[in-house]
Amino acid sequence: MSVTPSWIGLVAHLHITARAFLPMRAMEQIELVPGEGILGDRYRIGVEEGFYSAKPEPGRQVTLFEEEALEAIRRDHGIELRPEEHRRNVTTRGVPLTHLVGRRFRLGDCLLEATRLSIPCRHIEEILEKPVFDPMINRSGLNCRVLEGGTVRLGDPIRPA
Amino acid sequence: MRHIRLALRAAEPAGPGIRLLTLMDPDGWPLPRWRPGAHIDLHLPNGLTRAYSLCGDPAEADRWRIAVKREPGGRGGSAWLHDALAVGGELPASLPRCTFPLAEGARRHLLLAGGIGVTPFLPMAAALAGSGADHHLHLLHRGPPPLPAQLGALGDRITLHDTSGGRPDLGRLLGPSEPGTEAYCCGPPGLIEAFLAAWPAERARVEHFTPPPLPPLPDSRPFTLVLARSGRRLDLPAGAPLLPALHALGAAVESSCEGGICGACRVRWLEGPPIHRDRILRPGERETHLMACVAGCAGPRLVLDL
Repeated sequence: MSVTPSWIGLVAHLHITARAFLPMRAMEQIELVPGEGILGDRYRIGVEEGFYSAKPEPGRQVTLFEEEALEAIRRDHGIELRPEEHRRNVTTRGVPLTHLVGRRFRLGDCLLEATRLSIPCRHIEEILEKPVFDPMINRSGLNCRVLEGGTVRLGDPIRPA
Repeated sequence: MRHIRLALRAAEPAGPGIRLLTLMDPDGWPLPRWRPGAHIDLHLPNGLTRAYSLCGDPAEADRWRIAVKREPGGRGGSAWLHDALAVGGELPASLPRCTFPLAEGARRHLLLAGGIGVTPFLPMAAALAGSGADHHLHLLHRGPPPLPAQLGALGDRITLHDTSGGRPDLGRLLGPSEPGTEAYCCGPPGLIEAFLAAWPAERARVEHFTPPPLPPLPDSRPFTLVLARSGRRLDLPAGAPLLPALHALGAAVESSCEGGICGACRVRWLEGPPIHRDRILRPGERETHLMACVAGCAGPRLVLDL
């Protein structure tokens, strides 16, 4: 049975950081490597620069976050959370991230497989000095594995595979 | 453990026995933001953790500066940072914590420093100058002052008091305490004590170098420590310290000074009431948080949000 795509979204922001806790840097494009992650990012498999205690997580090569969640946190909690502050790599527009666990989708020309929902980390409140931990529960984005790599640019379409 | 890695990029002498260190990410990546009054803990290879106020400019996003005074009678922290840490050397550090923030809304700010205790005041004074706030820094020092180049940048907003001939009268130095005037003190314990005797506590903020000794808990009794998130619990005898118990329960609570002044082990409490023995939480904060390194419990159960 063929499935008709019911949604199509786009890449609103791109961010990476070299190491855990350091500020995210805005990018115009990022390079995805199959089975590894993003060039220069802390979570790329094999060069993890995260927590001292962190174990490599094969299902967390790229992380995504809904721009709509930023709006919801502002609306529901009065907290201004900026795209570089949620600490995920790709801020999406018009993508139902929470529906994609276990599914494959296209990020630009790349092919991703969603492994699990992201969970927020307490340390984000410390870094931001904003009480965002509770508001981010259940809308903290999506962890993905890279099946087909390539370049992802701002404005690229995101659609079901 | 939540650590970031820092590399020493530059080191220069900055007054008597003082080494001014410029610390950066090993690749020059921007570092976490911080506010004037913040400090970091450095985790030294000899097992010591030492807190230092950030004394540079928060606008310099890729570097932190700290000034380390050699303490000949110390336990080896400052000696390692003076003698063993070479440019290019790396060490883990905590995220910045601001335990000595500027009072928002105060009309006038009086800053009182003892010696190397001037470090947090450098960015605080710069921020006050930048916002046009009324402020003045009094630095008590003996002999040549610390950080002379940095003090020079403060212009007529600083007064140096050489205490070789005795400490000036703090009441006269600070003047009358008027509502809207906040006074701050960072320095050795004797100076902080004299400051708190000369200025009303509700308009006073202090930052200690080293933890003051703790009095014993007079009304302590056995209690059950409960971690609300994990459901783990432990029965503790009267007066038992919390940090070892938390670590025994697997709770990842950081600690640094272990004397209730640095803010590293701040934990939210849900049931108690705790006995607060820290020197850092303000009264309102104590209604929801405790410092685990020194807190006790006055009730039969202490439930923490862990």
